[in-house]
Amino acid sequence: MHKTESVAPASRPIPLSMIFMAALVVHLPLLLMKLPLKSYDANFHIFFASHYLHNWFDPWNSKWYAGFSQTTYPPMPQQWLALLSRIIGLDMAYMAVQFAAILLLALGVYRFSLLWVDHRAASFASLASVFLGSECFLVYSAGQLSTTFAAPLYLNALPYLFQWVRHGNRRSFLKGGMLFVAAAAAHHVTLLFGSLLFALPVLALVILDRQHSGRGDRERLSLPVFFFRTGSIVLVVGAAVALVLLPFWIALIHYPVTQTPIPHPSRANYLLSPQWGLNYFVVPYGALILALPFIVWRGSSVARLRPLLLGFWVALLVGLGGTTPVGRLLLGRAFDVLTMERFSYWATLLALPFVGLLAVELIDRFQMRAVVGLTIAGALTCGLAVAWASYRPADATDFKVDTVASWLNRDGHDRYRYVTLGFGNKISRLAVLTDASSVDGEWNSGRMLPELTQYGGGALTSSKYFGKPGLDALSAMLHHADRYGLKWIFVRDPYYEPLLVFGGWRRVDDLEDKTITVWSKEDVPPAVPVNAPQIPPRWQGLMWGILPIGSSILAMFLVLIPERLWHRRRVLQPSATHENLVLGRLAS
Amino acid sequence: MSNGRILAIVIVSVTVALIVVGTLWPIPAAVAMASSGSDLLRPSTSPQAAVANLADEIGRLAWEKAYSSLANNNEFTELDFVHDLTGSYPSLRAYATLDSFDQQPLHASADEAQIQLKLHWSTVVGSFLDTRTLRVVKTGDRWAVAWPVVKEPRVPPQVIPVNYLRWDVIYRGPEDDWAAQDVEAPHVRIVDMHPVERGDGVIIMGELLNEDVVPAYVTVKATLLAQNGSAIATEDSFDKISHILLPKQVTPFLIAFHNVSLSDVANIHMEPSASLIAASADPVIEIEDQHLNPAPGASLSGNLLNQSGQVVNVAHVLETFYDKTGQLVWVSDQFVDRALLPQTPVSFTIPIPADIAAKVASERAISATYSSGRFQ
Repeated sequence: MHKTESVAPASRPIPLSMIFMAALVVHLPLLLMKLPLKSYDANFHIFFASHYLHNWFDPWNSKWYAGFSQTTYPPMPQQWLALLSRIIGLDMAYMAVQFAAILLLALGVYRFSLLWVDHRAASFASLASVFLGSECFLVYSAGQLSTTFAAPLYLNALPYLFQWVRHGNRRSFLKGGMLFVAAAAAHHVTLLFGSLLFALPVLALVILDRQHSGRGDRERLSLPVFFFRTGSIVLVVGAAVALVLLPFWIALIHYPVTQTPIPHPSRANYLLSPQWGLNYFVVPYGALILALPFIVWRGSSVARLRPLLLGFWVALLVGLGGTTPVGRLLLGRAFDVLTMERFSYWATLLALPFVGLLAVELIDRFQMRAVVGLTIAGALTCGLAVAWASYRPADATDFKVDTVASWLNRDGHDRYRYVTLGFGNKISRLAVLTDASSVDGEWNSGRMLPELTQYGGGALTSSKYFGKPGLDALSAMLHHADRYGLKWIFVRDPYYEPLLVFGGWRRVDDLEDKTITVWSKEDVPPAVPVNAPQIPPRWQGLMWGILPIGSSILAMFLVLIPERLWHRRRVLQPSATHENLVLGRLAS
Repeated sequence: MSNGRILAIVIVSVTVALIVVGTLWPIPAAVAMASSGSDLLRPSTSPQAAVANLADEIGRLAWEKAYSSLANNNEFTELDFVHDLTGSYPSLRAYATLDSFDQQPLHASADEAQIQLKLHWSTVVGSFLDTRTLRVVKTGDRWAVAWPVVKEPRVPPQVIPVNYLRWDVIYRGPEDDWAAQDVEAPHVRIVDMHPVERGDGVIIMGELLNEDVVPAYVTVKATLLAQNGSAIATEDSFDKISHILLPKQVTPFLIAFHNVSLSDVANIHMEPSASLIAASADPVIEIEDQHLNPAPGASLSGNLLNQSGQVVNVAHVLETFYDKTGQLVWVSDQFVDRALLPQTPVSFTIPIPADIAAKVASERAISATYSSGRFQ
């Protein structure tokens, strides 16, 4: 196996324990401050978890869209969150799960980088992951728990994939396979799109290594064996993912996402819309932008690194949204459904081995000056991405929804459904706190009400930001208030008042120093549970409650089995390599 | 190494090429999000491009840029320009978003053109159209729009005496749930009702009378019943009614059922509801100068005059049309996009379907209003 050059082989890699300490120092205070709660989606995940907390085996959630199935979204991180919340509450459980994902990322980047670069460069890549702008952006600004949980699992699985396909290591088959399944149970988009970007370069690396191995190499890999091993793991993992996420596939096949696409700024052209370029390119990439020439040059020059470069390049182009036509061409209709920032995230992860190489070379050449420069670059990148949640907050104004929840929970108000206007992503927090059901929600792919799906608007609470489609959806929903038992409207934006006044709604109360007004409609019948065909049968609820989280527990169990146990049970195998790392060894 | 160099050059070149393609011919999702820079790619080298750039800037609320691009911006201030488009007071215009625009060349010469610009605005209660005829002039190698600014009239300071009826309601206490009143509901009655099949469904039009001596908050619900007595659909009048009815006042209503055929309907169950409400006759809106404009483009136009001393932010005109025999033939409505300033007439135009226009012999209009910070 060819290793890429490192000028100072005598220098030692940074111990993983130190990298974990760095992650602890950087991220733990921010998480203890509950900073991610200000992000776009953190409360969305907490809302899902709160449902699992009370209804572990019943994925039908009646609090949004008059009822929707949570089998439309892989549940693993939210289920862990629900489990931990029994000890430390939902908010801190979110922070704990997110912190675990950050640590897993450092480990995953280290192990993934070892496929491409030496130990020292891999350790720098791993350290860079702690300061990675895209990670900080997704954690503190976007709140994409599932994406940031699934990607590290994939990164940790990839070395096992390499070991299996290259060397036929069956333990790697088991461990890698299980990690892939757990990653799929964490996030479907990462499974469907990200896995290819990560896995294909690794398989190409196997081919390259095969070509460079000598004639006498007893581990020389024939093409049929390569295809057999690749096919076998794809088949087994595919079957396992199909089983573990069976209710998800059933929901997706029976009720495909056919609703009118909702505009998203990550699909903008970042040159024509520079503010979105700043948001979705400059902030996530940070100082990594300066490394782009090095990445292209080194990735092109070293044959082993070319698959990684190509994977990075494709992810970069798709992550640029509408700046290039690539995303539209490669993803087709999915381009109008997905958000593109996750592709930038994956691109930066694929770039980290190069960053490790660059750091090693700079330090070897410029010594302390390089260390200072890299530290400042890392701190600025991380700092900007963390602070971005304050510069461009998900909600322009922060406000409490506790009084709204109390109002709904008293005097039988929760017998009717409600909708909020001008609450932004606070509707998830409100849904956690109240017993009442809403016709609105934040999980667009889970909604089935025709009033919501036939227009190109997002959440009703933010209707005006979606222009005519959003207002048409709101108007259609208010027209059918009786049908859904929709009696209460909480308004935090007077913009909507004319519609309510002329539509037959009357102001009946106000909350939070009159910043929130409560509107009601006469003669609305109490809400009745919808008898939707989307309600999952009981067996699906059982599967959903057992298999996804079970897959993650099994993956942990398999990965954490010390090598010695394998050796004790089996005949000693000479092919064990230093890449096959386990947590106990890494932390030492 | 040579292969590597070629690969690097290919990657960089293809990336640059893709970015150029994505910027010169942006995909629809990118166009929808574009905020600035589009005019860089579409210089105002033709009258149409100049008008399109101006409409883009208006849509993005880039007032400074739009104003500075005008050929006649020395004739009025930027504030005049903004108020012309959005109004000086909060109104539907003030918070409208430009949904789309289209333009139609009317006349063109070497250095001057006339283009009709239609701005389709979206508001919380529906859409409205703002049509402007623009003169576009050539200055150097570029074209610029001469904006036909319409300055809003300013009301002089004055005292307006008010003398209006007002009804207050004393509730039991703050714990009262609204509409759970222990008093008898005001007496209201449907005095006219006509179901017709039109377009993709059934429309029920009618009139509701408040027979009582107290104001009523009203709404009308209708259920279409099939031959076997089962309900086909239930809808209510939503905003096609004036919800607050003073004593002896009549409001038209219109209830639309989409995707229903009148032949499937055996019976219609009408359910008017009323509750007691505190109300006042203020603000008094006079509807004046009404006249029917014949087809083609049949419409009813008129002016609204706010006779009170307060600004009305949104006004809603409901019009009932009758034939020669006095039978109700159509109900239509229009939201007025400009605020009604005291003593200042604001025009409105309500379109009438061509086939209905021929039957119309008379009409009756009422208005409902919304003033921010004031609720019944």
